[in-house]
Amino acid sequence: MDALIEINNATLRFRIYRNRTPALKEAVIRVLSPKKTASDEVIEFNALQNLNLSIKGGDRLGIIGLNGAGKSTLLKMIVGIYPPQHGSVHVRGKVTPLIELGTGFDHELSGRENIYLNGALLGRSFKQMRSLEEAIIDFSGLEDKIDMPIKYYSSGMLGRLAFSIGTIMEPEILLVDEVFSTGDAQFVEKARNRMDHLISKSSIVVIVSHSMDHIVHFCNRVVVLNKGAVVAEGDPTEMVEYYRTNIANVGAAPAPYKSALPQPVLTT
Amino acid sequence: MPTPLAEATRNKIETDSAIADVASRLDQQPAINSTESFGVFLFRSLREMTNIKFALASFVVNNLRRRYRRSVLGFAWSLLNPILTMCVMTAVFSILFKQNPKDFGVYVFTGLLPWSFFCESVVAGSGSLTGAESYLKKVYIPKLFFPMVTVATEAVNFASSIFALILLAAVAGFHFTWTCVLVLPITALLFSFTYCCALFCSIATVYFRDFAHILRVGLGAVFYTVPIVYPVAMIPADYRWFYSYHPMARFVELYRLSICEGQIPSLEVWASPIVVTVVAFLLSFALLKKTERDIIFRL
Repeated sequence: MDALIEINNATLRFRIYRNRTPALKEAVIRVLSPKKTASDEVIEFNALQNLNLSIKGGDRLGIIGLNGAGKSTLLKMIVGIYPPQHGSVHVRGKVTPLIELGTGFDHELSGRENIYLNGALLGRSFKQMRSLEEAIIDFSGLEDKIDMPIKYYSSGMLGRLAFSIGTIMEPEILLVDEVFSTGDAQFVEKARNRMDHLISKSSIVVIVSHSMDHIVHFCNRVVVLNKGAVVAEGDPTEMVEYYRTNIANVGAAPAPYKSALPQPVLTT
Repeated sequence: MPTPLAEATRNKIETDSAIADVASRLDQQPAINSTESFGVFLFRSLREMTNIKFALASFVVNNLRRRYRRSVLGFAWSLLNPILTMCVMTAVFSILFKQNPKDFGVYVFTGLLPWSFFCESVVAGSGSLTGAESYLKKVYIPKLFFPMVTVATEAVNFASSIFALILLAAVAGFHFTWTCVLVLPITALLFSFTYCCALFCSIATVYFRDFAHILRVGLGAVFYTVPIVYPVAMIPADYRWFYSYHPMARFVELYRLSICEGQIPSLEVWASPIVVTVVAFLLSFALLKKTERDIIFRL
């Protein structure tokens, strides 16, 4: 059975509550005097709008768009973190998210303990983790520090450990959100090879990146997201071109420099 | 002409793929408008729960590890802690109430331990979803996981406390009978009840953040309605009917009958705890079904 992601007409709406901490007291007051107050105002915005996307086995889909276009939200919707309010998402196959590496790292615990904790959160079993433990430690290059609490690790070391745990297994569906550079030059090289390997082995790969080189290199299909909607879809080189000319440069065109301070008038 | 072995293998493969097919359909997230029945929802929840049992075990173990990390005695504290507390409290109470410390100590703690397990689990559990925001927004974990971690951690403490109590009482020469074994099914029932309450409160706290404070005060008041530091005999006969319906009072009675009195509790004693557990289960899972897809947007 082949892996598959089907997104049908999905709309994901975020609600921002003016009143950050909803309180029981206010709910009671609201029931007693049903008058709208400023505190229960809700700002709604659609992070994703009427999104249709069908990703099949063999697809290496790249997602490009400006900051806040909904790229990461889309990945999180595929993982199941954000269920859409309208429409549906169907995922067949085991999803491995490389979205936020090192989720659930506990800084009081040792590196080894965190390998198990993080693996557990990624849905692995104890048996799997026991058989993968050595390979993870080996890849991270932290053999001598693995039994030390990770609060003594440098951020580079944490990144190496997280990357090693996240990428140890060959996934069916791989979701990648900007994880191409961690650690020192030597590790970056190793990590790049590991990513190449994972991407070639996975049935479906969805990549979010701002690096157009990565997108063109890895993907065979690209969608352009803008304000939560798919605005274009097709061949990577064409889409990157489209994105550069129609989206990236429109808002970001270098505005003529104007200082806020009054310029001193030089007279000679 | 297929050999019987090949035939069997093919059948097996067919069944396996059928199972995989059903399983994968369950893995899919239910569509928003799908009218998932309560039964299917419960089945899916149970499946999700069994899928994350390793994560559950790691969270619980790490919670315990963190509690006793860097202490010389380590895990021994989980047993030593309740023993010392019980010694101090027994000494104080038996002087205060002029009672035989051995019997009085066992009497008080068979009541106090289940109550504090319930109370601490529900209070800590009520903040478990709001406290897990960073996990819930980064990986997919079923919502029922976090209250379970809290209650399971408290349950380990409770188990070691009960064990310490029995150990201590045995050393003091308290006479036990085989009915002590009934502690296991009673604890299983109390665990289920506590978990359902914690789940309910954790969801309520997501929607009303001050629920946790109200809960703490409320439980503090409820404490005095449970006959823990006083015997039911002290209550005027006119009000005693109240205790036959009070679920926590009945839970305490179950523990006392099986540990102190050496009796098998009658069905009448079991009735209230079983009924409230079923009600709490239905209520909390109905609430979870209703809010499951909305919670993440409210954190």
